[in-house]
Amino acid sequence: MNHGKLLWRQYLMECKLYLRDRGAMFWTFLFPVLMLLGFGLIFRGGNDPKMPVVWVQQAVVQPKDRAMLDTLAHFPTKLEAMSAADAEAKWQKGETAVQVEPTPDGFRMKVNSYLIAQGQMTAQVVQQAFLMSQAQLGGQPLPKLIPVSVESPGHAHETNYAAFLLPGLLGLNLMSMGLFAVGMVIVSYREKGKFRRLAVTPLPKWVFLLGQIMHRLTVVLLQSAVLLLFGLIVFHIHNQGSYLLLALIMALGTACFMALGFALTSFAETSETYGAISNLVFIPLMFLSGVYFTLDAAPKWLQNAVIVLPLSPFLKTLRAVFNDGAGLEGHYLGMGILAGWTVIFFGLAVKRFRWA
Amino acid sequence: MNELALEIRGLRKAFPKVVAVDGLDLEVRKGEVFGLLGPNGAGKTTTLEMVEGLQEPDAGEIRVMGLDWKRHGQEIRTRIGVQLQATSLFNKITPREALDLIGGYYPKRRGTDELLDIVQLQEKADAYHITLSGGQMQRLALALALVNDPELVFLDEPTTGLDPQARRSLWDVVRRMKAEGRTVVLTTHYMDEAEALCDRLAIVDHGRVIARGTPASLIADLGLPSVVELSFDGAAPDPAAFAARLGSPVEVRESRWEIPAADPKSILPKLLESAESTGTTYEQLHIRRATLEDVFLHRTGRSLRD
Repeated sequence: MNHGKLLWRQYLMECKLYLRDRGAMFWTFLFPVLMLLGFGLIFRGGNDPKMPVVWVQQAVVQPKDRAMLDTLAHFPTKLEAMSAADAEAKWQKGETAVQVEPTPDGFRMKVNSYLIAQGQMTAQVVQQAFLMSQAQLGGQPLPKLIPVSVESPGHAHETNYAAFLLPGLLGLNLMSMGLFAVGMVIVSYREKGKFRRLAVTPLPKWVFLLGQIMHRLTVVLLQSAVLLLFGLIVFHIHNQGSYLLLALIMALGTACFMALGFALTSFAETSETYGAISNLVFIPLMFLSGVYFTLDAAPKWLQNAVIVLPLSPFLKTLRAVFNDGAGLEGHYLGMGILAGWTVIFFGLAVKRFRWA
Repeated sequence: MNELALEIRGLRKAFPKVVAVDGLDLEVRKGEVFGLLGPNGAGKTTTLEMVEGLQEPDAGEIRVMGLDWKRHGQEIRTRIGVQLQATSLFNKITPREALDLIGGYYPKRRGTDELLDIVQLQEKADAYHITLSGGQMQRLALALALVNDPELVFLDEPTTGLDPQARRSLWDVVRRMKAEGRTVVLTTHYMDEAEALCDRLAIVDHGRVIARGTPASLIADLGLPSVVELSFDGAAPDPAAFAARLGSPVEVRESRWEIPAADPKSILPKLLESAESTGTTYEQLHIRRATLEDVFLHRTGRSLRD
C-alpha cells in the first residue's frame, strides 16, 4: 500500500482516538484557558488592590497619631482600626500582614514573615507616611507625592498581565505536549506492548511516528488558536507581530520539545519512572523560564543560567513578536540556542530510541 | 516448493539471568496445527517471539516458509499472522476500527465483517476495546491474526485465563484455520488443548525440545497406556511396602497416588487383595487413560502446572 495513504489513515485514527479521550481534551484545551482566565483576572491591575494595615487603637489619641492617620490616607492602604486585644488575636491567628501600634513617643510596627511579599511593601509605605506626618507636625507643609503614571515601557501598546501570560502559556503548552503527551504515549505503548502488535505487521515504523507527530501538531495548532481567541475576546489581547513569524517560532518550539519528549522516553522503562523524569525536567523549566513572571528579581547567575535553557529564549522571542510586534532582530542568539537544543534532543532521541 | 512452513535449527537466546532457549530444533509442516507444550518459563514464548521477528536470536537459524528474517523481513511479516500473549490495543478503539486499521497495513486483506463473523464478535463490533471481556479480547486478537489472510499463524497461549466455554469457541476458530489450509503454531500449557487441537507437538522444557510427535504417539511411547489413581479413606499405607506387594511402582502426589499400568485388568485384583491384607480402605479408585501430562511427568519428573 502506498505510504502516503497509510500515513493519512494512521493520522486520522490518532485524531479520532484523541477526541474520545475526555481527560486529554480537558488538559489540552480547557486548562490553559482556565489558567489565563484565573491569573488574568487576579492580576488585572488598576487601583483595586489596597495594602491592608492593622492599626491598634489607643485610649488617648495624640496629635502625632492623628497626623499619621491623615498621611496614611494618601497611600493605597486599607486601615483596619481595632482594640489591642482584637489586634493581638488577629496577629496570633496569622492573618495580619502589617500591624502599626502607636506608643507614647512614636510607633511600633510588626511584619508577618509568612506574608512578607505584601508586608515588606506595606512597611515601606508606612515608613514614608511616618516621615511625612513628622514633617507635617513640625509645621512644614505636606510634601507632595511624586505623581505616578502606569505605562507599558518597551511595549508598542498598552499591555497587562494577561498579555504577558498568554505567550507564556503557549510555550508551556508546547512543552507539556512534548513531555507529557508524546513522551508518555511512547513509554506506555512500549510498556504495554502496543508497539509489538505493530512490529509484527509490515507497517513502517516511521509512518507510525510521523502520524503521531502530525496529530500532535494539529492539536497544538488548535490549542493555540483557542487560547489566542480566548485572549482576544476576554482580555482584548491582540497579536502585535506577524502571524507568520509567530508560526515559525512556534514550529521551532514544537520541534524542540517533541524531540525532548522522545529523547526522555529512552531513560524510562515504565510510565511511573517517565512521569517522575518528565516532571523533573518540566517543573524547573516552567518556574525558571519566565512563564508566569520575569526573572528580573532572581540572582544574576540564575538569569544567566536559564538563558541557555530552551524555554526561556523561546518565550522571550515569542513575547517580543506577540506583544511588541518585533522582528527576529536581536533574537537570533535565542533562536540559535533553541535550534541547538532541538538538534541535541533529536540526536539523542534517534540514538537511544527503542521500540521494546 | 518447500514443504516446511517453519524450520528452526539450534536456536538459542540468553537473557542476563537465564538461558531462555537453549539449542532448540523444530520443523513444522505446511497445513498442520503444531503445538509447543510446556510449563511457564520453558522458553515457548521467547521461541515464538524470535520466529515472529520480535527478538533476535543469539544463535541458530530460523526459516519461515523458507525465508530468512534478515533478508526477507517485510515479506515474512506480510505472510504471517500473529496473536501475542497479551494483545494490547488502544483503549477506545473498536474491534471494527482495529481490524480496518491493521488490515490496512497489508497488501492483501480479508473483509472486516467476515472476520467478525468468524470470531463471533459482530455484536461487539462497535464497542470500545476496553469494554470487551477477556474472551472477546482474545477473539479479537485471533481475528487480527487472520486479517492478512496469512499462510502461517502463530498463537501464543490463546486460551489462557478463559472460561471453558470461551476456550471451546476459540478451539473452533483454530480448527477452522486448519480447514482453510493454514499452518498454525500455538503454545499452550493445557494438555487437553494440545490433545484436542494439535496434529503434532513438541514438549519443551528448559529451552529445549524433550519429546516430539503426535499426541497419540507420545502417549503410546510411554508404554503405559493407563494410570490407576488411588486415594485412601484414613491413613495411607507405606508406599514402598505397598509397591513391593503390588509389583509395580507407585507415585505419591499429595493425597492421591498414581500407579502407571500397562494392563489395568491384571493390576486390579492385586489392588483389592492389597487393601484386604493391609487393612486399608480406598476412598476412590479409578482408572484413566494416560495423557500428555503423564508424558511430561515421566520425561521431567515434574508436573506441567508446577
